[in-house]
Amino acid sequence: MADPQPPWEPARIAQQDEADLVARAVAGERAAFGMLVERYAGVARRVARAVLGNPEDADDAAQDAMLSALVKLEQYDARRPFGPWLLRIVANAATDRRRRRSVRRVEPLDVGLTAGGARPDATAERRALNERLRQALAELPERRRMAVVLFDVEGYSHGEIALILGIPEGTVRSEVFHARRRLRVLLADWKEEG
Amino acid sequence: MMDPLPFDHRRDGVLGRALREALDPGDAQAFVARVVALAGQVRVASWDAVLARWARAGVAAALVVALAAGYLVGRGTAASPTAARPTVSDVLIAPPAHPAEVEVVLASVIGSN
Repeated sequence: MADPQPPWEPARIAQQDEADLVARAVAGERAAFGMLVERYAGVARRVARAVLGNPEDADDAAQDAMLSALVKLEQYDARRPFGPWLLRIVANAATDRRRRRSVRRVEPLDVGLTAGGARPDATAERRALNERLRQALAELPERRRMAVVLFDVEGYSHGEIALILGIPEGTVRSEVFHARRRLRVLLADWKEEG
Repeated sequence: MMDPLPFDHRRDGVLGRALREALDPGDAQAFVARVVALAGQVRVASWDAVLARWARAGVAAALVVALAAGYLVGRGTAASPTAARPTVSDVLIAPPAHPAEVEVVLASVIGSN
């Protein structure tokens, strides 16, 4: 199934539509909850993966967050956007899981992929770039990682990210800036190689 | 990737697309199906939990009420054992509208014989 959020479209859906879906989900309509999950699965999983690195852990965290959101759904204020409310739960779930789990070392990069080794085809090169990006992202502090993903990948505004992360808007701007700058440094050699 | 400007409010398209692809978990359908399937259990579990909480509170409240009522009834009975039954003089003075108390009079008469 394709991700319902097209690239560069923020996870913002008509608020009235969402409020209606939430009301139906609270009333026990499973299909309404399913639609909310479908809409936010992509962003929730990506944000969790940005925090946790490991895709299985990220999916578990995103799943826990979605189910936790369902239990707390009656507490959601329908006058506010749903996305930031949900993503705050996701971010907290991912952060908690990261704290709880035993420290898991990130697999070292394949030397052949990073040191300008032979790249047999475009797919392998793309895979290598993705791995390299994840490694670079993992080097950033957790909050900085989430800020840059929510801003540059998911299209949320600084104000919305401030709500999600529970930090001032100015801090979000600063985190995004520093994340980008660090990523540029970490990926500079790739750029030159490419 | 664009050169970042301090506090740039614009999105970095190249970085965003690259990160999106790098973080793409794939198989969205399986994930959604799993969460929706678990959601049914969570709803049931949470309703069960609510009902269980209410049931526990209800049983506790009923016990307290029963104990209090038992204590009050017991204390009332113990405090006035004579007040429950009329004395012979009460019965003799009482108006004839209380036919049930005739037996008390008869008992006292028989007893005095």
